[in-house]
Amino acid sequence: MKFDQPKYLPGGDHFILVQFGDDASIDLNFMALGLTAALKEDATKGVVDTNPSYNSLIVEYESDDISYADLKIELARLISGLGSVEDLELESRLAYLPAMYLDPWTRDCVADYSEKIAPRDYDPDFVAEVNGFEDAKQLARIHSGTEHWVVAVCSTPGLPLMRALDPRCAITSPKYNPPRTWTTLGAIGVGGLSSSIYTTPGPGGYNLIGRTPVPLWDPQQRLPVFKDRVVLLDAADRVKFVPIGEEEFEYIEARVADGSYEFNITAYQRFSVGAYKKWVASLNQDGRF
Amino acid sequence: MALNIDVIKAGLETSVQDFPGRYGFWEQGFPPSGPFDMWSFRLANILVGNAPEAAGLECQFMGPTLKFSDDCVIAFTGAEMNATLDGETFPMWESVAVAAGQTLACGFASVGARAYLAVSGGIEVPQVLGARATFHMAGVGGLEGHALKDGQSIAVNGGAGVPGRKVKQDCRPKIANGKQWQIEVVQGPNDDWIAEEGIERFLESEWKLQARSNRTGYRLEGPEWIFADKASNKGPEHGEHPSNILDHGYPVGSINLCGQTPIILVNDAPSAGGFINPFTVPSAAFWKLAQSKPNDIYRFNRVSVEEAQEMRRGIDGLCVEDSIE
Repeated sequence: MKFDQPKYLPGGDHFILVQFGDDASIDLNFMALGLTAALKEDATKGVVDTNPSYNSLIVEYESDDISYADLKIELARLISGLGSVEDLELESRLAYLPAMYLDPWTRDCVADYSEKIAPRDYDPDFVAEVNGFEDAKQLARIHSGTEHWVVAVCSTPGLPLMRALDPRCAITSPKYNPPRTWTTLGAIGVGGLSSSIYTTPGPGGYNLIGRTPVPLWDPQQRLPVFKDRVVLLDAADRVKFVPIGEEEFEYIEARVADGSYEFNITAYQRFSVGAYKKWVASLNQDGRF
Repeated sequence: MALNIDVIKAGLETSVQDFPGRYGFWEQGFPPSGPFDMWSFRLANILVGNAPEAAGLECQFMGPTLKFSDDCVIAFTGAEMNATLDGETFPMWESVAVAAGQTLACGFASVGARAYLAVSGGIEVPQVLGARATFHMAGVGGLEGHALKDGQSIAVNGGAGVPGRKVKQDCRPKIANGKQWQIEVVQGPNDDWIAEEGIERFLESEWKLQARSNRTGYRLEGPEWIFADKASNKGPEHGEHPSNILDHGYPVGSINLCGQTPIILVNDAPSAGGFINPFTVPSAAFWKLAQSKPNDIYRFNRVSVEEAQEMRRGIDGLCVEDSIE
């Protein structure tokens, strides 16, 4: 539910959490990202960092430059300037990322968990079953059949939290309990309402359904796409997964290793929330691919 | 004057840090990192004539053994690590001239947990995303992205420090071995997920710091939490357990309730996740976290946002030249 007025909640002495609502309606993330953009454009004095998520935005501030009370006033002013969610236009790029679904590496990772921590079925079969799909192949078709909206880049460097923009491709699944202790680098996972791509080989709780051979961040800034940035994606970008086979996976992996891989990412476009919502309303949402 | 410090023994997770750490990249998943005890860190820099921000070393629990290639001025603050310079007791909270070829050897921390070494001129490592601070989990910043390793060499900028400068006694953090700490907390952001009696229980109870604690998170052991109705009667998108919430950003310092285990998220913590944060430790109390050891006992003392900000200003006011005698 979207709140009539956003809630402002303190996080210690230098953070404020702005909550637009209390559920996973994508409109709430659009509002959070609209406020993020407005804060940047306004260059609000005292604001030092932002951290958006599903229905909220954390703002970090320097209390020597702005008081908590004044920051609330500034945030309310910027939020009222956003207008209704349909009015929002967000700067967004579309990144085409190669993805090998049902790949051998994440299969090994799931098998390792199953052997050492808790027995479980192969993740793609499990996710297909809980979503009522025919099989894991249909899961791959559906997951690659939509653009995924980057809700936030968070938790670990460059890790995108994404959700399907096409409601016919929405996938929901329970996360691992207990979590994995390690995850294949580049693994594509689904959990809750989200998709993600593992950018570090650390622990994780999403169901693994595929793997990308391309890096989502590069502190050495070696590949051309990282010339002016360390992290590939920003919140409000979109990702379209392009299914590939093992041979192409290895080809791309080699081109990443020798530094010649060229990412396919569009220039910034204006993503109109109003136009998106009209398109969603026009769909027969019961349809599946 | 090019100075190198040779790492004879690295110690336990000794890392290069700068103040305040890495800012402006939180929305891409980078935590601030930086020195855990920012009070002791800044005073070490001021002692040797550096800007308080300059890169220095954070030593944890067991300090390093370092050999200096050239004359320089250094200062050691924070935890007592029983350091010696060529076998002679090395004084804390004081700038000291070191001659070329001398060796500083640290031991285990006997009072406090983290010590800070500043060298006049400051440590020279490349800036990554605007900071020299080490975020070792991602291999970013510091010396090749990680904690020091035996046999590495650390470059230092040329600088002209003055030996014999001391931090006034009442300008230092009160690091002691009492094992009992009063830690300030600000209520929120998700305090409404905890029942009123749960809030009271948190504030009235003793919390023991677990051994599995580091610069990512401080795990606490204590009584059961009492959740508000809201924590159980919620939409399925929030997850099953009462401590689960739809993924959201985590303030640095927030007390992250993971099932029944509270984890204080500190300098290298993940920026977001799916658990609630009923309280947040403000920056003015971070030095106490940094200087406590496993099995130490915390009691939490609720303060307002404005009180927490005033406390931080108080510490900032001590990290200045006037604190030196």
